[in-house]
Amino acid sequence: MGNWERLVWNQRDVLLAGLGVTVEVCAIAFIVAIIGGLALCLVRIYVAPLRPVAVLLIEFFRDTPIFVQLMWVAYVWPEIFGFPSTFFNAGWLALALQSSAYLAETFRAGIEAVPRGQREAAFSAGMSQAQTFTRIVLPQVTLATAPSIVNQFTVIVKSSTLISVITVPDLMSQSQKLVNVWYEPIEILTATAGIYIVFVFLISSAGKLLADRLLRRYGLNAS
Amino acid sequence: MSEALKQSLDISMFWEYRAVFLEGLTFNCLVFLCSAVVALSVGLGAALLRINRLWPMRWIGTLHVEVFRNAPDYIMLVWVHFVLPLLIGILIRRRVEFHPFLSAVLALGLVYSGYFAETFRAGIQAIPQGNLDAGRAFGMSERLILWRIALPQVVRRMLPEALNLFVSMFKATTIVSLIAVPDLMYNVSMVIQQEMRPLPLYSGAALTYFLIILLLSSGVRLFSERWRRKILA
Amino acid sequence: MGEIPRIRIADVHKSFGPLEVLRGVSFDVHRGSVVSVIGASGSGKSTLLRCVNYLEPPSSGEVYIEGEPLGSRIDGRGQRKPRSLAEINAMRRELGVVFQQFNLWPHMTVLGNVIEAPIRVRKLPRKEAIAYGEECLRRVKLIDKLSEYPARLSGGQQQRAAIARALAMRPKAMLFDEATSSLDPELTDEVLGVMRELAADGTTMIVVTHEMNFAHEISDRVIFLHQGVIEEEGSPAEIFGAPKSERLRQFLSKYRK
Repeated sequence: MGNWERLVWNQRDVLLAGLGVTVEVCAIAFIVAIIGGLALCLVRIYVAPLRPVAVLLIEFFRDTPIFVQLMWVAYVWPEIFGFPSTFFNAGWLALALQSSAYLAETFRAGIEAVPRGQREAAFSAGMSQAQTFTRIVLPQVTLATAPSIVNQFTVIVKSSTLISVITVPDLMSQSQKLVNVWYEPIEILTATAGIYIVFVFLISSAGKLLADRLLRRYGLNAS
Repeated sequence: MSEALKQSLDISMFWEYRAVFLEGLTFNCLVFLCSAVVALSVGLGAALLRINRLWPMRWIGTLHVEVFRNAPDYIMLVWVHFVLPLLIGILIRRRVEFHPFLSAVLALGLVYSGYFAETFRAGIQAIPQGNLDAGRAFGMSERLILWRIALPQVVRRMLPEALNLFVSMFKATTIVSLIAVPDLMYNVSMVIQQEMRPLPLYSGAALTYFLIILLLSSGVRLFSERWRRKILA
Repeated sequence: MGEIPRIRIADVHKSFGPLEVLRGVSFDVHRGSVVSVIGASGSGKSTLLRCVNYLEPPSSGEVYIEGEPLGSRIDGRGQRKPRSLAEINAMRRELGVVFQQFNLWPHMTVLGNVIEAPIRVRKLPRKEAIAYGEECLRRVKLIDKLSEYPARLSGGQQQRAAIARALAMRPKAMLFDEATSSLDPELTDEVLGVMRELAADGTTMIVVTHEMNFAHEISDRVIFLHQGVIEEEGSPAEIFGAPKSERLRQFLSKYRK
């Protein structure tokens, strides 16, 4: 169909630019989420006086729908806290906050799943708390939670479509711009949907392969 | 900072409009219920296709699941509302428009049918083959085996996971405001346009949703713990 | 004899892909008689039993239930046509199967398990199904457990419940697929006891088993299966007392207690 060429292929620069912004926002959100999630999780487990604060934060950012959080962070936070200063920052911040809450719980489950005997063996061998954590616990947690972490990245990518609402020029908003210019939504929106679907599919497939290879290396995939 | 903080914590404005917001919330519930019906039924169908004997059926089921599981809610919403009516219109040579409520239910229902399909499939495949063999040995039809032997066990096993999906789905209904379904967020944005005071209103919305979802997910968590213990006993 | 055998297995072959598991097995089971099938693992015993009720359709050959072929029928015009799944299901009602893994349905009580098929498949009214179901449970001495869920029963109790479930359909014959192989030795006896009583009552039975003494005790005929064919068959006295083939002798020597 000529329309596909005219509306999608010829506009690929616009769409690719949008995809670039999407990837940027998601990457930043993902990294921040991992750091934030780990921090929240460690505070929750090991820093007793701050535990209720951590729990509250985790619950709050997990339970609030991402759209609501986005609007709240984008419009309310700048007035109270002075940041985020741009909508771009509001975008990745909101995504990161929600995902860090989920990751905090994922990490916690992973840490608690490491059999206690392993820690005891490490202590008996004379390892310190910190050594035990970094050499024994953390690697196993990483292995166990790798699939969930990859999954969280796909969640970030899927949720990122909403940042178009706060005028961040991501793929979604670029495609809507094109629709407003050309008044022909069929090809543009279908192509956009297809790009997102394929992108998410590739990420989760790559994630599965990676997790599988990791597990196989350690002989943990016996079933 | 403290002025803005005071303003946003002053949710009395949010409370003032509580009737409107409650109305919006009921729309969220309505969309949720209807989408849940779609998601469950289409999801079950896709799951059964995935384990069908014939490979074209399996392929269709897998395609369905992969397309809808990997699709962002918002793009699916926009696509169903703006593109699907045009495609149908081309087919039947008439102008077709979807009511926003219909688009919302369809879009969310289809996206979550992908997740439910996987849940159902995992549950079905976890049933010991012997259970089904015994059914066949007694001369039960495949339909009877599905409804009396397989599905009851699937529901028991997958109920916690399904409940979590329902909570996610409820959270997802917030985006229907973007195609003008008059839910809570839509009404909030309407009031903001009138009152020009976004702080207390967005804060109020966040707080409201937080409390509701907190209640729901805590309930699900408690229930799931007791349920798992009972089922695995 | 002239009497139609209750079950006739005629030259049954069964292959899974390139692997031929059954290579032409034929024997008859007459009304009221007990036929035991013994053999090493991999000899095809379980596959044979699964072919009898078409859980695995034979690759070639046929199974006859009271003269009626399971796999095909003669239609109104006198032509032979293959049976549909629904028709096969209808014939399966006449065979009661007891599996090695019991396969009780975990989400129903014992009574629920027992009455499920009579109600759904034979379309019995609920009261009737319950009445006869309780009778069957009494027969296997499990009547006090009728409202228990399977997970709460011991292995022996579960298997007895499975036997009651099969009996409740009033089958023409009972098929036992290594019914005691999954049980601890202490629990085996209670199940064998039930099977012994059923045999004494004149139930037609095909019993695939490792329990040589038991087979010796209750069988009218014993069949020794080896690599998919009947290596030797005869009365228990012949098979266990005076085995003719070398392979049978080797096999039995492993089981000498």
